[in-house]
Amino acid sequence: MHILLVEDDVRISGYVAKALREEGHMVDVASDGKAGLTHAASGSYDVIVLDRMLPQLDGLRVLQALRAMEDDTPVLILSALGGADERVLGLRAGGDDYLGKPFSIEELVARVEVLGRRRGQPDLPGCYSFGDLAIDPVARIVTRAGKRIDLTNREFRILEYLARNAGRVVTRSMLLEHVWDYSFDPQTNIIDQHVSRLRQKLDRIGGEPLIETVRGAGYSIRRRPA
Amino acid sequence: MTLLRSLSFRLALLYLAVFAGSVAVLGGLFYWIEVARPLAEIRSDIRREITALHEVHRRDGTNALAAALDARVAADAPRGAYHALLDARGEPLTTNLPSWPQAFAPGWKRIEADIAREGDEDEYEALVLDMELPGGLRLLLGRDVDDIDELEESVSDTVLWIVPALLLLGVCGGALMSRVIGARLDAISGAARAVIEGDLSSRIPLRGASDDFDRLAATLNLMLDRLEASLEAVRRVSDSVAHELRTPVARLRAALSDIHDRPAPDGIAQALAEATRLQTVIDAVLRISRIEAGRHAIARRPVDLSALLADVVEFYLPEAETRGQRIAMAVAPELAVAGDGDLLFQGFANLLDNAVKFTPEGGTISVAAAVEDGAVRVEFRDDGPGIPQDLLGRVTERFFRAPDTAGTAGLGLGLSLVAAVADAHRSTLAFPGSDGGFRALWQFPPGTD
Repeated sequence: MHILLVEDDVRISGYVAKALREEGHMVDVASDGKAGLTHAASGSYDVIVLDRMLPQLDGLRVLQALRAMEDDTPVLILSALGGADERVLGLRAGGDDYLGKPFSIEELVARVEVLGRRRGQPDLPGCYSFGDLAIDPVARIVTRAGKRIDLTNREFRILEYLARNAGRVVTRSMLLEHVWDYSFDPQTNIIDQHVSRLRQKLDRIGGEPLIETVRGAGYSIRRRPA
Repeated sequence: MTLLRSLSFRLALLYLAVFAGSVAVLGGLFYWIEVARPLAEIRSDIRREITALHEVHRRDGTNALAAALDARVAADAPRGAYHALLDARGEPLTTNLPSWPQAFAPGWKRIEADIAREGDEDEYEALVLDMELPGGLRLLLGRDVDDIDELEESVSDTVLWIVPALLLLGVCGGALMSRVIGARLDAISGAARAVIEGDLSSRIPLRGASDDFDRLAATLNLMLDRLEASLEAVRRVSDSVAHELRTPVARLRAALSDIHDRPAPDGIAQALAEATRLQTVIDAVLRISRIEAGRHAIARRPVDLSALLADVVEFYLPEAETRGQRIAMAVAPELAVAGDGDLLFQGFANLLDNAVKFTPEGGTISVAAAVEDGAVRVEFRDDGPGIPQDLLGRVTERFFRAPDTAGTAGLGLGLSLVAAVADAHRSTLAFPGSDGGFRALWQFPPGTD
């Protein structure tokens, strides 16, 4: 993917750019709002990582200007501003995702990769299949080797979110955000409990374990031929 | 000049100017009512009399006029009547005036009308019209205006003496007022300067008069109390954070130094674990201070607290079931509060996290919520060991851990975060003791939804 990183803190931008490049992405860095907007408007990026507080032009202004040009490149907003409803403001201004500082680099990489997927394929509910597992999001039916698996509503949503982002890492806070609709860094192993119950149900019938734990980051379903 | 720059002195001067102005206006009004208007009336009376006397003179001759003049003096009138009728040579035909100006000059004049009446010599002042009559006669006709003159004099005395005296007194009073108020203000700015110089314990002395200044000083002192307390809290927090970080940093250092001497994979894993723990502590502390710093700007959207509590319980259900615990829920439907749903979820999740952590296997945790006296009241209760009564006041301190929970994982930051969230929502969080287990009572005052 081609990623634009707009961040004025050289240490953070260096560290983030390095991590994204290690994952095989191309990263351009802009260190103020004006340069960021120029880059964003001219280049064809798959994802833009935009700091909220920038010299010259505030991050939210950059975002608004970009959206006014009918550019819908997915934007991940980074912000160190606490409390003040920052997340809602950022999303309302046209941001696609929000990450509060301090963040873990795994979290940022996972979110950028999930945002990059959205660009190509809209979230249309289609059927997913992974080996002998099939998920029908409309009928809310999961089968493995033709046998139906009963999942709670929450378990189904976890599985669906992982399936939609198959091949990418989904972090615990991403799960909390999309499955529970609460946004914060969970710092507990409670989500692991939910995932492990889901795993047990999926793997009870037998077959290869489906959901992988990605150390220090989260979970992932590996993409495989149907 | 400092006196002129003093607000109280300027206010005193302003007040004085207004007061002097009112005295002048009142004096003028008094002059018009008691002096100018009666004099004008007297003039028009005299003109009317003259018209009548003219008529007498034209019809009945000079003698009849003289008789009419004498009769006018004898008539009982509120004001003494004066006249002098002179012939062409200037000799009086009839008069009751002691003297008059010899040269004829038509118009109004003031004449001393000293009159001997029943042995007493009185000084009177008369307003007289000097005029010519046909046949070379000269008539001076007037009325006594002595009382009006006296009034006029007293009015001008007032203006001449009272106003300057007033000005003098006012300036002195203003200066005095400015000094008194200035002294009170100096006390306040003195205390403020001491605070600026770093003495946060400095306070403004109170007079005990409970006047405006005392009330202001009391408010400012209260503000200083709060500031001092919160600075003290900040100092304590940074102390405890530093203290809390020392141990993991020391362990990390030891692990790294081991690896340095003798590279070993388990040493690296240990160092990583210590670094992760450090990061966790720092993130948790940061999160709490963010909530505290942003507490004036948190979202105030309607939150369905019943649904939120159900989500929290559902979130912890697998963990509780794994531990063989039961969560009993008694939450009234459609409880509404205003706030930030994400923060509230974190807060309630932390309460439940503690309950699940400390309740023994097979124990029960109860979550209850209802409206009571207009307030939404949420209660969490568990079967755990609880916390000794004397320590309940300290549970929201950062890094507080109950003494006998050394074996249980935890940073001692969970309830600090709950307290920060409760404070940000202007709700109250209390930990009333109970016979067994831990009890948390979170109340949202009415009007927060």
